[in-house]
Parts: sequence; structure tokens; C-alpha cells
Amino acid sequence: MSKLILLFLALIPLLCSSFSPETPSDRRVLVLLDDFAVKSSHSLFFNSLKSRGFDLHFHLADDPKIALQRYGQYLYDALILFSPTIERFGGSVDAASILDFVDSGHDLIVAADSNASDLIREIATECGVDFDEDPAAMVVDHSGYAVSATEGDHTLIASDDFIKSDVILGSKKIEAILFQGIGHSLNPTNSLVLKVLSASPSAFSANPKSKVTSPPSLTGSSISLVSVIQARNNARILISGSLSMFSNRFFRSGVQKAGSPTKHEKSGNEQFLNELSKWVFHERGHLKAVNVQHHKVGEANEPAIYRIIDNLEYSVEIYEWSGTSWEPYVADDVQVQFYMMSPYVLKTLSTDGKGHYFTSFKVPDVYGVFQFKVEYEKLGYTSLSLSKQIPVRPFRHNEYERFIPAAYPYYGAAFSMMAGFFIFTAVHLYNK
Amino acid sequence: MARSSSKDAQDLFRALWSAYAATPANLKVPLFPLSKLNSALFFLTPLLLFFQIIDLYVLYAVCTALIQVVYMALVGSFPFNSFLSGILSCVGTAVLAVCLRIQVNKENKEFKDLAPERAFADFVLCNLVLHLVIMNFLG
Repeated sequence: MSKLILLFLALIPLLCSSFSPETPSDRRVLVLLDDFAVKSSHSLFFNSLKSRGFDLHFHLADDPKIALQRYGQYLYDALILFSPTIERFGGSVDAASILDFVDSGHDLIVAADSNASDLIREIATECGVDFDEDPAAMVVDHSGYAVSATEGDHTLIASDDFIKSDVILGSKKIEAILFQGIGHSLNPTNSLVLKVLSASPSAFSANPKSKVTSPPSLTGSSISLVSVIQARNNARILISGSLSMFSNRFFRSGVQKAGSPTKHEKSGNEQFLNELSKWVFHERGHLKAVNVQHHKVGEANEPAIYRIIDNLEYSVEIYEWSGTSWEPYVADDVQVQFYMMSPYVLKTLSTDGKGHYFTSFKVPDVYGVFQFKVEYEKLGYTSLSLSKQIPVRPFRHNEYERFIPAAYPYYGAAFSMMAGFFIFTAVHLYNK
Repeated sequence: MARSSSKDAQDLFRALWSAYAATPANLKVPLFPLSKLNSALFFLTPLLLFFQIIDLYVLYAVCTALIQVVYMALVGSFPFNSFLSGILSCVGTAVLAVCLRIQVNKENKEFKDLAPERAFADFVLCNLVLHLVIMNFLG
């Protein structure tokens, strides 16, 4: 009995360190591999994750004991799929359960490769990314390939066409990336997917072993090599067309793009993937907005109703998760709307540098039920959607101005008529 | 049907003028001696000598009404109730003054039996009611 209590007490700290809105970084990560050789051949990537505090659980992808959730509770905070050839997952994991996992707000990293199975391709399609339909196709680039000692078939390409976003890739410059795998395309109407690494305009996706007889379906810069998706519930998904991009061999090797004279000692793979994994696991670019306040200018309490043509102040605090703590978020493009079917007032909030955003404006001359809306969607950041309802009433009958300046002539005329009447009666009565 | 000409208009105007001049001038003489007026008011003396004061009163009311109409045309009718109240005060005053003039005139056969004091009392009471209404409607 006492042993049970001890066991229970020992498990409590485990529960406290799980994923929660207060500490949005993921902690427990399930890594599914094709075979355990990947664990050692990609050890640099896994070690960098471990050194940032992640708790990695390695399993074979067809291990019958793997499960994402038990009794309705998720056992892991994030999932890494380094198993491009898997046809069917073991245990209770399948495409639908992985998508449910993402829908509940958890993160996902998927790496495909030249022998990617239909299952992996299906998972990617559900996330919004379409791999090339030809199963034997790889990305080939005859003018952007990476110069290597052996004469290859130009499937090993060096690409440095990154997305311009400091929050996704960090602010330091990244060297060219070595890539060898399949390419995918994104639907241009999809607003949730982003191309992080694109191929050069001379790349195309075709089978390198056979002659190209018909024009390839994916060509040029529309081929995306690495994409990220930020879902509406702020879950982040990384989809890469190459598993070897994560390997130690690519991390350590130098890179020289064909046609360029400079050879870099170290490819940018390690820096690129470290920065990107920080973003995917919510160590960067995760915002929270708290403490929405509004009140009339000069007062401190929040009224239940405003009157038209009142002056009011609105303030909100926005913080960004830095991996360990909430830091104040500093930006100059957060806006608040005073909205009733359409924004009557749209103002940019000013900040004091410590995460406090505020502005003041005049309530419009329209009465009804309004909302204070903050809809903030910036590339790479979680989307903020705040809304607070407040009614606005018209003037009470004693709140109008007492004497209307435009009507002073009429007041004057009426009083002058009265004065004339008095003078006339005096004249009329006392005149002989 | 005879066509009217400018001679007819002149004749009409002359007839009206002589009729007006022949009315009993019970209100013609001004209150104060003319010699005490300073030079700035000299242009007013023919006005005061010829016209009756009651007519000047009516003219004053009508002029005030016209000024208000011109003002409304310029600025717009925003406090419409104030505009109506101002116009009504002028028009009502004019109408009541005209009624007093009719009733006080001894040559008027319709009002032979009406004492002029009674007419004046009616005039005062009606003006009081008028101004009460005006003050309420002025806003």
C-alpha cells in the first residue's frame, strides 16, 4: 500500500512537466523510425533536441506497442516521423490518429525520402502538401547541385532559397542546405502552408534513372523542399522531402553550389534544422495575449456600457514564449478594431516595450453592440484572436447640449419679439 | 377684358397711398420731441412722422421673419424646431398687431361696438399665450 502511494507521488512531477498553455514548449516526443540505424546516423539532430530539454522516445514504426493516446489522454506532446518507407504503423497509430493528434494542438515533423510510402504521402496531403505522384521521382537540379567528390546524378542539391522570416529561421545567416529527396508543391490558395526552403528555378522533379520523356509536373521554384504548416489551432507541422537532410553526414559535410566558387566548410543543415525545430516545437513565435482592459478616459473600472462620443482607452498585454519563460512581445503592427458588422474604428496599438499595448479613441456616433477585436496574424507567429463585446447607448435626454449655437438667431428673434411687444404696449398705452 | 397697363398700377398705388394717409393718426405722433433726436436718427423722422407706430411694429416683425428665413437658407435647417419657433413668434406678433389695428380703427364698421380697451386686452393676452408657446417650442 505504501509502495503504491510512493509510486503515485513519484508520478506527480511527471504530470506537471507535460504540455500546457502555461508552458507551451513540448516535452515528450515520440520518434518513429524505420530502423534503429537512423537513431545513430542522425544522432546530432537528436542530441540537439535532447540538449534543449526534450524527452525523446524512440520506437520502430511498426512496433505493435506504440500508441499516441491512452484512455483519451495523449501520451506525447509531439511526433517525429522519420520512417518514410512505412506502409502501416504498428499499434494504434494510423493516419487518422496522427491527424487527430495534430488537430488537438500537437506538433509533427514528417520526413519523406525517395522511397516514401503511400501512407506518408497521404499524411502529407492531409496536411496540405502534395508530393510528386511519381513514386520514383526525385528532385534533380543540373545547375544548382552540390559539388561532391563523386560524379552523381545531380539529385544532391544545394539550396539557399529560404523564406524571409526571422522568427522561423532565426536572425543569423544560414549557408546553403544539402538536400537529396523528393519535392512537393503547395496549393497557392492555402494560407496556412509556408515554403521554408524552395528549389532553384532550374530544378525539376523526375526519375533520375530513366530518360525524361514528358515534361515534369513539378518544376522550378514552385517545388518546395521543406514546408511548414501552422494550423488554425496553432499546431505546427514540418514536412521535409529528405530524411538524409537530417543526417550526421550532411550536417558535417561542406557544401559548394555548382557554379559558385565559394566552398563552405559546413553546410547550413544543422543550423537550419535547429532553428526550424525551435520554431516547430513552439520555442519561438508563440504568443499569448492576456489582460484585456478597457475603460473610459479618466476612470479605472470597466463600465458595462459606453455612450456614443465617449473617449475610451483599450489595453492588452502580449507575451512571447522564449522556450523557458514568457518575454514581452514587441511589435508595431498590432491593431484593435471597434467592430459591429464592419470595423468603425481601426487603430494600431502603441507599446511601452514591456508587452503592454494600449490606445485610446472616441466611440463612434453609432449605437449598438460592438466588439473590441484584435485579429493578429503575422508570418510565423501564432494567430491571436481576441474579442470582447460591449454595448454603446445613445444620449440620455438630459445629455444633449442645452443651447445649440446654430439656433442663436432664432433665440434672438423670439426674445426680440417679446421685447418689441413690451415696448409697443408701453407706447400704445401712454400715447395720447 | 381690358388689359392692365402701368398707368393702372400707378393709379392703384396712388389710391392706396392717399387712403393710408387719410386714416386717423392715433398712433402717429412719436413719444419724444423731434428736436431732441441727434443727427444720426434724422433719416428715421419721416418714417416716424408718416407711418403709424403699429405699422412699424408689423414691419419689424416681418423683417425679422425674413432675416430668419435667409439665415436658414444659408446654414440649413438643423434645429428645425427652433427655426419654426422663431418664425412663428414673428408671424404671430405681426398677425396680432394687425388684428389690434383693425379693431382699434374707428372707421371700421364691423367693430363699432368693440371698445378699444377690450381690443388691447385681447391683444395682450394673445401675445402672452403666443410667447408661452414660443418659449416651449424653442428648445
